[in-house]
Amino acid sequence: MSANRYDAIVIGGGHNGLVAAAYLARGGKKVCVLERRPLVGGAAVTEELHPGFKFSVFSYVVSLLRPEIIRDLDLPSHGLQILPLESTVTPMDNGDYLAGWADWDETRRELVRHSPRDAEAMVEFGRLMQHMAMAVRPILGMVPPDPASMSPGDLKGLLKLGGHFRSLGADRFHALFKLMTMSSADYLDEWYEFDTLKATKSASGIIGTFLGPRSPGSAYVLLHHYMGEIDGAFRAWGFQKGGTGAISNAIASAAKSFGCEIRTDAAVERVIVNGETAVGVALKNGDELRAPIVISGLDPRLTFTRLLDPKQMPSDLIEGIRRYKFRGSSGKVNLALSALPTFTAFQGDKELMLRAARGAFSISPSVEYLERAYDDAKYGQFSRNPYMDIVFPSMIDPGMAPPGKHVMSAFIQYAPHNIEGGWDDAKRDAFGNAVISTLERYAPGISKLILHKQVITPADIERITGLTEGNIFQGELALHQLFFLRPVPEWAKYRTPLRGFWQCGAGTHPGGGIMGASGRLAALEILGR
Amino acid sequence: MKVEAIVIGAGPNGLTAAAALAKRGKRVVVLEAADAIGGHTRPIAFGPDCRFSLSEDRGWVPDNVARMLGLQLRSVAHSVSASIVVDGALISAPTDLGAAGELIAKHSKRDAARFVPFAERISKFAGVLGRVYQLPPADIDTTSLRDLLPLAAVGLKVRMLGRADMTEFLRVMPMSVQDLVDDEFETEWLKALIASAAVRGLRQGPRSGGTTFNLIHHMVGGSARAGGWFAEGPDAFAVAVAKIVTSGGSQVRTGARVARILVRDDAVAGVVLAGGEEVLAPIVISTADPKRTLLDLVEPQWLDPEIGLAVSNIKLRGCTAFVTYAVDAAPPDAFKAPVSLTPTTIALERAADAAKYGEIAAEPHIECWSPSLRWPAFAPAGQHIIVARVHYAPFALKSAQWDQNQRAALEKKVSAALGRVIPGFSGTVKRTGFVSPRDIEEHFLATEGALTQGEMTLDQIMFMRPIPGWGRYAMPIRGLFLGGTGAHPGPGMLGGAGFLAAKAAR
Repeated sequence: MSANRYDAIVIGGGHNGLVAAAYLARGGKKVCVLERRPLVGGAAVTEELHPGFKFSVFSYVVSLLRPEIIRDLDLPSHGLQILPLESTVTPMDNGDYLAGWADWDETRRELVRHSPRDAEAMVEFGRLMQHMAMAVRPILGMVPPDPASMSPGDLKGLLKLGGHFRSLGADRFHALFKLMTMSSADYLDEWYEFDTLKATKSASGIIGTFLGPRSPGSAYVLLHHYMGEIDGAFRAWGFQKGGTGAISNAIASAAKSFGCEIRTDAAVERVIVNGETAVGVALKNGDELRAPIVISGLDPRLTFTRLLDPKQMPSDLIEGIRRYKFRGSSGKVNLALSALPTFTAFQGDKELMLRAARGAFSISPSVEYLERAYDDAKYGQFSRNPYMDIVFPSMIDPGMAPPGKHVMSAFIQYAPHNIEGGWDDAKRDAFGNAVISTLERYAPGISKLILHKQVITPADIERITGLTEGNIFQGELALHQLFFLRPVPEWAKYRTPLRGFWQCGAGTHPGGGIMGASGRLAALEILGR
Repeated sequence: MKVEAIVIGAGPNGLTAAAALAKRGKRVVVLEAADAIGGHTRPIAFGPDCRFSLSEDRGWVPDNVARMLGLQLRSVAHSVSASIVVDGALISAPTDLGAAGELIAKHSKRDAARFVPFAERISKFAGVLGRVYQLPPADIDTTSLRDLLPLAAVGLKVRMLGRADMTEFLRVMPMSVQDLVDDEFETEWLKALIASAAVRGLRQGPRSGGTTFNLIHHMVGGSARAGGWFAEGPDAFAVAVAKIVTSGGSQVRTGARVARILVRDDAVAGVVLAGGEEVLAPIVISTADPKRTLLDLVEPQWLDPEIGLAVSNIKLRGCTAFVTYAVDAAPPDAFKAPVSLTPTTIALERAADAAKYGEIAAEPHIECWSPSLRWPAFAPAGQHIIVARVHYAPFALKSAQWDQNQRAALEKKVSAALGRVIPGFSGTVKRTGFVSPRDIEEHFLATEGALTQGEMTLDQIMFMRPIPGWGRYAMPIRGLFLGGTGAHPGPGMLGGAGFLAAKAAR
C-alpha cells in the first residue's frame, strides 16, 4: 500500500503538470505524475507517424518557456536545446514575398523594398513592443490578486500591481491599455501601411483564439506571442531538437532527477474526496493512489466536472466553468515529404529557398485574407482559404526525417470545433484538401511530394490530448478569461474549493503556449513559496 | 467681437458648456454653423413639413448637469422600450421589467427566470458607469487629491457592489455581447434585440469584444431613458438650455461656421468665422469632433506631430445612414419606439461583415421608428414619418462612392424590408429622404459621418478619450478645451462632456 502513497499527485503529464511536479520534487516532496497516454507531453509530444519521419504532432515551436524554469530545473542538461527559427517568409499573391530575417538590418532592407515608411516604423514599433513585453513580464510571474477581496495578501498584491502600472509612466501604460483592448489589425494600422506586413504580424494575434484580426482583444494575443524569449532575445521563436516532445522529456527528466515518479498509461478516473478534502485519485484500472496534495494539469472543464462530481462544487464555480470559453479554432496538417517543395516566390533561387525553409512560412497575404478566413469559421465552416504557419523541422534538425526527405508541420486556422454538423472523416478530408490546395497555390507541386499526411482537427486534438473543444490554450486568451478571471473569479490562484486539490494547467494564469508558468506558480503556491 | 469665452457648436454639450460658463459670470458666445441649434437632435426637413432628427431618443441628462441647469423637461414614458420583427410579426419588449419577464416566459420559462436578474444586474453596472460619467476621468498619472477623492468614492461604490457583482462587472465589460447573451438566454429574438443595442454606433458586429460595454453605456440613465422622449421635441434639451444661456446675457449665434481657431503665442486667441469675422476670447470650448477641432480648425504648426498622429488614429468610422419616408397611413403604435428588423444575432454579424471590407451590407441591420407618432407636427396633416436607421453603411466605401446609385440601391432594400413589416408599405409612400454618412459629415460637420465623435470601443473611453493622455478636456493649446461627445463620457449623455469641459476651463 505504501507504494501508492505520495506527498503529491499530478494528474496529466503535459508540460505544466511536469513543471509543477519537478518544482514540488525539488522542494522535497514525494511526487507522482499520472499520464493517460503512453508518452508524456500532452500537446507537446514527438511521434514517429511514418517510418523515419518524426513529428511535433501538435505544438511545434517554442519561445514562451520561462527562463526561470529553464534555470531552476537546469533543463539544458536534460536535453533542452532550442534551435532558432531564422526567418518568417510570407508568399504574396503576386509571386513576390515578404521576409523577416534573424538579422535585423537585413529585415529592414527587405522591408524598404516594400515600404520605406514601414521600415522606419519598424524600429520604433519593435522598441515599444519590447517595452510592452517587459511591462507584462512581472505579471506573468505573479499570482493574480483578487480585486474583490479585502484580505491583506490580496490588497498587497493589488497595491503592488497599481504601483507597477504607475511605474510604467503614462505613455507606456496607455500603449499597454491599447494592446489589451484593441484588435491587432487596428493596432497595426496605427503603425504600418504595407498590407502583407500587417497581415503577417496580426496573425500572431489570432493564433489559438476564435477571433479575427479585426476583433478587439486580438492585440493582446499578439502581445502574448511577443513575450517569448530565447537567450534573452524577445520575439525569437525556436524549434526544439528532436521535436517539442523532447522539451517534455527534458522536464520529465529533470523531475525524475529530483525523485519524481512518472507513470504513463495511467488514466485517472476521479479524485477521491473525503469530506471537503482531496485525499488521492482513483485510476481507470481500479488502482487508488493517496496523497494530501492532488494537482490537476487538465483544463478547467475536465478538472471541475470530470475529475470531480460537479455537484460537490459551489454552483457559481460550475456556472463559471460553463461560461468559460474554449472554442478550439485551429488544426494541424503534418506532412512527410519526399523532397523540399519550392515556393513560387523562390523559383529560380534555390539557395534562398533553402535558407527560407530553415524558418517559417506564413500564409497571410493580406489582412482581408485572414479576416475572411475568420468569417467562414464564424458561421460554422472551416476556412476555405486558411491562415497557415508552416515549418520544416527537418531543415533545422536533420534527425527528424530520413536523409533528403523532409517533415512539414503546418498550423492551420480556422477550423472551428463546433463546425456545422460536427466533425467526421469526410469533413476532415475536405479540410485537409482545402489546406493542400491552398499550399499548391504558393508551392506548386507540393502534393506530388507527399508520402504521408496527417490532418488534425480540433475534434482530434480533443480526442487525443483531452483538451476540451481542442483549444490549444486550455481556454481562450480573452480579456474576460485572464489574470484573476482565469479560469473563474475567486478560484484563480491555483486553489479549488477542495482542500488539497489544486490546478496547474494553462487554464490558469497566465496560460497558453509552452510556457510552464502556470505549473511553476501553482507549485510555488503549494510550497508556500 | 470680443467675449470671455467661445463655444463651438450649439448641440446639447456646447449649450451646457456655455450655460456653465455663463453661470460663473462669463460672457459667452456660442457659434453654430447650422441655421438652428440642437446638433444631432436638431430636426431636419426632407420635404415640406416632413421632419426628423438623427437623434430622437431622450438620452440621459447626468445628475450634475441637471442640478446645474435646474431644468424641468417634460418627458414621455412609453410602455415599450423596443420591438423586433420576427417572421413578419412584431414582438414589443415592455419597459416594465415584470411585464417583459411575462412576455419572455411565453417563449422560454428558463429565459424569463433569468431575464429580470440579468436586467437588474446590467442596470446596476450602468449605475456605476453613470457615476463615473459625472467625473473627469482619472489617468495613471493623476495625483491631484481633488480629482482622486471623488474617484475613490466611486471605487468604493464599485467594491460595495459585493464580491460577485464586482468581479462580474470587470468580467463582462470587455466581452462580446454575443457571448453575454449566449451565456444567459436561448430565445433568439431576445438575444438579437439586446445585441442590436450593443452595436449601436460601432463598425462592429455582436461578436466583437467590448460590445457588452457599449450595451451598458446605452443603459446609463436607467428606465427614464429606455422608451422615453422629450414631449416638446427631440431638441427640447438644447432649446431649454439655450434659453438659460441667452437669459444671462450670453449669445447663441446660428449660421456662424467657425473656419479656424486662432492661436497666438501658443495660446488660444479666438476664432475666425467662415465669412472672415474674428471673434476673440481667451477660452474656446469646441464641441466639434476631435479630428475636426485639432486637425482642421487648428493650424498644424501649433500641434505637436505626435499628438496630431494620435488624433488622426482616432477611430470614427461612421457607418450609419438614414432613409426617411413620409407615408399616408399610420404605422403601428410600436413605431413610437425603435423597431429592429434584424431577428437574429447571426444576421447582425453578417450585416457587420460587409463594413469590414468597405462595403454596404447586402442585408443591412435596420431599426425604424416614427417621429410623427411622438410629435405630430413632424409630418404634414394626414401623413406620418418613418425613419429607418441603417447599419452598416460605412462612410468609406472601398470601390464605390456614395452616389445616386448607391443611395437608390440601399433605399430599395430598406423599402423592401419595411414592406415585409407594414403590408402595402410602398403604396403609402409620398416622399423619401436619404442621409448617407457623407451627408452627415457635410451637414453636421461630423468627420467620417460619425455620430459618436469616436467609436465607443474600450480603447477610446475614459482616459483614452479623445486620445490617450488628453482625457481631461484641456487640449495641448492653452485655452482650448474639448467638450463634445468626442470627450468623456461620450455620446448619449446630454451635456455631460460640455459640463466637465466648462469645469476644466478655469
